[in-house]
Parts: sequence; C-alpha cells; structure tokens
Amino acid sequence: MVIPTVSFTDERLPNGLRLIVAEDHLAPVVAVNIWYAVGSKNEVPGKTGFAHLFEHVMFQGSRNVKKAEHIALVQAAGGTVNGTTWLDRTNYYETLPSNQLELALWLEADRMGTLLDALSQENLDNQRAVVKNEKRSTYDNRPYGTWSEKLQAHLYPEDHPYHHSTIGSMADLDAASLEDVAAFFRTYYAPNNAVLAVVGDVDRAQVRAWAEHYFGGIPANPAIPPVADMSLAPTLGAEIRETVEDQVPLPRIYFGFRAPAMGDRRLDALEVAMQILAGGKGSRLDRRLVRDDQIAQDVVAFVLGFIGGGSIAAGWATVKPGIGLDRVEATYLEELERLTREPVTDDELARAKALIETEELGALSRVEERADRLAMHATLFDDPGLIDTMLARYLAVTADDIRAVSADVFRADNRLVLTYIPASGGGSEESAE
Amino acid sequence: MSESSVNAARPTPGHPRPYEFPAFRRSVLSNGLSVIVAPMAGRPLVTASLVVRNGAADDPQVDAGATVLAARALSEGTQRYDAVALVEATERLGAGLHADAGWDASTVSVEVPVARFEPALALLAELAEHPAFPPREVDRLREERLNDLLQARAEPRRRVEEAFIRTIYAPSTPYHLPSGGVAETVEQLDAGRLAAAWARGFDPAQMTLIVAGDVDGAGGRDPVEIAESLLAGWTAAPGATAGGSISSESAIDSLQIKLLDRPGSVQTEIRVGHVGVPRRIDDFAGLSVMSAILGGLFNSRLNMKLREEKGYTYGASASFDPRRAAGPFAARVAVNTEVTVPALVDLLAELSRIREAPVTAAELAAARDFLVGVFPLRFETPGPVVGAIGGMVVHRLPDDELATYRSRIEAVGADDVLAIARARIHPEHSAIVMVGDATRIAAELEAAAIGPVEIIRDEVPAEEA
Repeated sequence: MVIPTVSFTDERLPNGLRLIVAEDHLAPVVAVNIWYAVGSKNEVPGKTGFAHLFEHVMFQGSRNVKKAEHIALVQAAGGTVNGTTWLDRTNYYETLPSNQLELALWLEADRMGTLLDALSQENLDNQRAVVKNEKRSTYDNRPYGTWSEKLQAHLYPEDHPYHHSTIGSMADLDAASLEDVAAFFRTYYAPNNAVLAVVGDVDRAQVRAWAEHYFGGIPANPAIPPVADMSLAPTLGAEIRETVEDQVPLPRIYFGFRAPAMGDRRLDALEVAMQILAGGKGSRLDRRLVRDDQIAQDVVAFVLGFIGGGSIAAGWATVKPGIGLDRVEATYLEELERLTREPVTDDELARAKALIETEELGALSRVEERADRLAMHATLFDDPGLIDTMLARYLAVTADDIRAVSADVFRADNRLVLTYIPASGGGSEESAE
Repeated sequence: MSESSVNAARPTPGHPRPYEFPAFRRSVLSNGLSVIVAPMAGRPLVTASLVVRNGAADDPQVDAGATVLAARALSEGTQRYDAVALVEATERLGAGLHADAGWDASTVSVEVPVARFEPALALLAELAEHPAFPPREVDRLREERLNDLLQARAEPRRRVEEAFIRTIYAPSTPYHLPSGGVAETVEQLDAGRLAAAWARGFDPAQMTLIVAGDVDGAGGRDPVEIAESLLAGWTAAPGATAGGSISSESAIDSLQIKLLDRPGSVQTEIRVGHVGVPRRIDDFAGLSVMSAILGGLFNSRLNMKLREEKGYTYGASASFDPRRAAGPFAARVAVNTEVTVPALVDLLAELSRIREAPVTAAELAAARDFLVGVFPLRFETPGPVVGAIGGMVVHRLPDDELATYRSRIEAVGADDVLAIARARIHPEHSAIVMVGDATRIAAELEAAAIGPVEIIRDEVPAEEA
C-alpha cells in the first residue's frame, strides 16, 4: 500500500512565526493548529498547573474579542475549536468551513498579540474555579483518577520538569496571579515561539498573505528562556512500589517504566511492541490475561512520548474478583519479560504493522490530524517533514529492535508498580484469593 | 518589548464552496438485503457496516443486555474460525472489525484499505452469518459485564446516569435499565439466549449493508457484486422478527429529587430531565436548534451561566437522545460539592427561561449557523458518512433526509424554538437525580424547597457476589 505523502510549504515570517501550509481540496474544510513551545515543563516551583490555567485564560478575550467570544464566533461559523496543554507544548485549534479561514487567523492573532488588554481578576478567578472543577471531574472524583499524576511523580525525579502533572495542584492554582499571567504571556506567547499549521481547502499564497496581515505586527520575544536541563538517567535504578486505597470495586495494577525520548528510533520499536502486547484482542496481554487465564478484566499498554530526557511506557491490568494481585502482576510482567528474551514472530510483527498502517492512513485522511502532526514535528523536532517518515519508520522496525528496546526498558530496576485496592470499608468486593 | 499591532476589524467570510452530502446508490440483493454505496473519491480507507434493525430495546425485559452481549460475542468465534483465528485474519488485512449493539440496532462494521475490501467483507459476513457463541467465551463475557457493572457503581457519572433512567422510565419499559442490562438479567444470559437475540434480527429483509469510501476509483469489483456473492445466500433465521414498537412510558408526573449518597465526593453529579422524544418527529430540526441554544454549544445558556459566569463546573450541557421510541432528555453537570444547591437552582432557572420568551436573534443565528456549517466537517471521512446513513435506515427516514437537513435547520425561527421548548421541556415534571456527599448537601437541599427530596444512603458493603 502507498500512503499518500503530505505536500506542504514551510517558512518563517519576519517576526519568527513559522507558517506551514498544506493544500487539500477534497472537502471544503480547513484546519488551523497553532503550537506554542511551552507546556507544564516550563512551570516554576509553586506554580504547577499554570500553563493549563493559562490556556483557559486564552479563551477569555483579547483587545478585539470579548470573553467567550472566540469559541462563539468559531462555532457560529460552523467550526469546532479547542486547546490542549501537555508537558512539552500547548496548542489551540479550529476546524472550519474553508471560507471561514480568515476568521480563525484573526482570532488567533488577536490573542497572540493582545491577550493582556482583556485580562481581568474576575476572569482569572472564574477560570481558576473552572480548572479546579476540571481537576475534580477528571482526577479527584474518579476511581483510579490519580494514577497519571502518580506515574509522573514516580518516574521523574523531584527536580525534573516532568515530575508534576499538567493539571497541577489546588494550592498552586490558588496561587496564580494576574502578574503570573502577564509574565507567562510576554515570555512564551510570542510568534517566534509558535508554529501555525493550516491544512485544507485553501490557497497557500492567500494563506501566506493573511498570516502576514494578521500576525505580522506582533513582535518577537528575543529572550525566550531556554528549558531547564531535562537530562535523565535511562532507568530508575531500583523498583518503586506504591499501594493506594481508593473507592474502587476492583483492584488495578499500573506499571510504569522510563523509556527512550521521542525522536530516539528505539521508541518507534517500543510503539510496535506495545501494539503486539496490548493492541486489541489478538495481542499477547489480552490473550493471556483476559482470554486464556481469565484473571484480568482488562489490560492496557501504551507509550507517552516526551522529548526531554525520557518518555513513559505504561500499562495496567484490572484484577478480577477473587484473583490474587500477585498472580496478575507476575503474569503481566512475564509477558513483558518474554519480549526481552524471544523475538516476536513474523506473523505478529506483520499484523502489528498492518494495523499501524491502517491507523496512519485513517489519521492522515483528516485535515485536523495532519495540521496537528505538522505543527508537532515542527515544534518538537524542527522538521515538519517527519510527518511523511513516521510510517516508514514503524514499518522498518525488526523483531530484534523490539527485543533490544524491551530489554532496555522492561527491567525490574526500571519499574514502577502502582496498585489501587478497594478502601477498607468502602469497597464492595473481597479480592483476596 | 514593542507594542503589538493587530487588526481590529473582524474579517467577513469568503464565498462558501458548495458542499453536498455524498450521493449514494441503493441496491437490493437477490435475497432482499439492501445495499447502500456512497462513493467518496480520495478516501482509500473504506468503511462497511451491516445494520440490523434489532437493538437492546428489542430484548425481552428478562433478557435485558442480551443483544449488547450477543454483538460483543459475534467476534468470539464462528463455525469456521475460533476467536483468535478470526482476529488474526482480520489483523493481517490491516482491518478493524467491530460488532456493537445500541438501543435501536446492531451493527457489524469493518474499516479496511480498499484493496482488501473483499476479504474483509468476507470476514464480516462469516461473523454475521455463522456466529458460534462458544460457551466458554460467552461465560467470560458475561462475567466481564458483571464486573463492569461493579465498576459503574464506583464511577459517579455512570452511577448517576443509571439512577436517572431508572427514575424517569416506568419499570415496564426497556429504557428503564441500561442497554447492557443489570446484574439480575445479565447473570442468566447464556449462549442460547445470545444466539436467540442475534437470530431475532437475522432477516435479510431487515438488514442493510452500507459502504462508503473510494470504491469506484480502485479498479476493483463493484461492492454490490461483492456483497451479492457473500451475502445473497442468507435466509431469515427461524423466529426472526422485525423490530416492533417500544414502550417509553414515564414513571413520574411531578418534580422529584433523589440524592444518592457518595461519602467524600468532592463533586456532585447532577442530572435533570424526563422522557424526551423519538427520532421520527416533525420538529426534529427545531429541536436540534433549541437544544444547541439551551445546552449544546459552548456558548449555550447552561454552559455560559454555570461555567463561564459562575465557575461551578468544567462544563454543563443538555441534550435529547432520540431513539426509535422516546429517549431521555437530560441536563448534565458536575459541580463542586459546596455549590450544589445554587448550581441546581441556576440550572432549573435556565430550563424554565427557554420556555418563557423567544431566544434572541443572535442565539438563533449562532445555533443555526453552527449546525449548518459543521455539517461538512462531520462527513470528511467514510466512517461518519456510514453512521449517518445507518441512522437514516434505522429510523426509516426518507432518503433525502441528509440532503435537506441544512435547509430545514435554516428554516427554524425563534417562534419555533419557543413552541418546541414549551412542548418538549418540562421542568415541573422533571426528575433531579444527584450523586454526591449527602452529609454536606442534604440540609441545604431540603431548605431550598425545590421539591420532595429522597436521600438514598449506601447500604453497608454489598454482599459477596
């Protein structure tokens, strides 16, 4: 099968804004995705969660746009819109009918240039309350909800920028001030710290002219601070274990490992390994723990890729009632261990690659995903052209690459085992064997 | 740092490029099975979906959950393949093969590069025609579903949804229970009952195969020809019945409040609503516009009040879930425990306000323009196109339903919205169902005198399963 390649232009405006445009006239739609090279890793101690809170403030208006009007205008134009914050970056995106592209560019430029004109204590306090409810909904009021915070806290040392989660702590959210917002904005929300990707039913010369017109008057920040040292030992050095009591009916065991950083070819092999381990009903963990031994309710394994120092390989198994935790842990780990010793079979590898190929084909058929990936590769690796190399990289992975990276990663001295058990008195099931 | 200069004038939209929902062709195979093909040039990943008009609502009440579990069990083995062989064969094609059942219908779908469409459809056909329902796998799936029900009880969102539908629907209706059933019904499901649930819908005259993607451009065989060779041999299973009428009777005729205690909860999950509407109604377009304004758009009344003004929540919404019979209407929000009562008061005020005066011209325009403008975005790839055609088939809507959707939305006026809100939203006959920390809420809730409050405290740990 031939995966269609993405043809695009890549240039910088005089103020440093990187503009990437890919034309695709199949459907009358356009995707705009703007990535800022700032994420939770840029937060300073005592201000965890700030990059994400700031993302919310970006929807509270700017010089020519009223509070909540950004989303209102995009939706009324027949578009969809959102923003996301992650460890390495923050992005904002709109997908619209293609005749509405100019509106999205105007909105993004207005807040990149003039956010502080509309900033108020009232709006900051309102979004602080919204974000605290987001934390309650997504983390604190959900069974097992704290797992990802704990994963990061255990896998990265306390002084590492990945040690804390993007949602941050309630106390730090309370501490965020208007001055923090202003300083963060002036430092990081500059055109030379951003990538603007536009994909869809557009004319690239016209996009370039509009980008100049709307973003051209926003000055660069010549003094964007370098990111702190992100280097990291390749492994944890010793196994870490924690048991958490929670309002959960079934115990669940989470596993975490330090893994190679994004861009390291070994991470490609690890992604394929995860497909073989837990990518659906034909995968090893599913077959062994769910189907054959019937000791787990569900199994999961995945990679969270980061660029600084190291990524995370993680997974979990939910323990069935009446089954011993030790047995589930041992069986799960036995399957990881097996990958470090024996090569995967040709058929397993071929099936994993066929699925990855279809998945890539599906993802790249959507303009929103293409814009996101172009901006991602440009932001994280200074090379949007990587969009056309990823599939080839996955297809080039060999059984030996998988064995080698598994041996590097799935080691006892590189392992976090995080076990959630029903809180005493609060659970509804006995789980001891 | 020098000052930014930006352009104050908001740009006006360019001339829209015309968009039409993909044209589709209808055929009927020699055994009466309908085929709909929607060619989409440039979309090499094809989606095919076999839609069977037999869903969870068609389960006899004692078998609640049978159809959902039967759909899950289809891929657990056929007369020719065991589950592992089936999944491996699918994966070698780089295909995703899924069977699923909702309230109204069951579907077996495959997504595959067009060059491998034929072998992928052969697997889909095998699974639909010859499911084996192996007892060992059925036993496992049943046990997994029972465990999932345990998990649902611990998840406030799922717990409140289940309590809400149990409150609003009469016990004799299928919608009173979750589509996947409850412990008492799931416990007695076995291979025989699942086979019966699947056979109930197995009648070529009641089935439609829908295919979308670049099926014309690949130089392969016509998908209808392929379907004829693979599906035309099917005959109706003994006992197959067309999906009949579904009861959706309400259990409530006045406002009532239920608070399910979840000690230590830092948020209260709130649902307010009642029995809503079926999909086949004349004012569907108006209903879509009205619910977008009330609780669909980001700038909907509920979200603007509860999130952007008060900061009570990460998001508030309201929606209808139109089914073959009347599905629920619900407003939904999760708020921090200490603001539970003021949030509920604000929410109820919005449900009343939409019935009191016409929406503003700006609200009306925003909702209409959103629904019209987002239409082409929804149908960029074959999967959603197949899904929309499937909905049309299941609800027996006219073939031009999707083609005329946007003009019908554009015709909705403020008076229509008001009339529909008055006809379809009934705050005074609503159930208010909440999951939260009763010790911190109950007194204030009772003092607010919104309506009679029933507090349901946790029994001591449930007995051993």
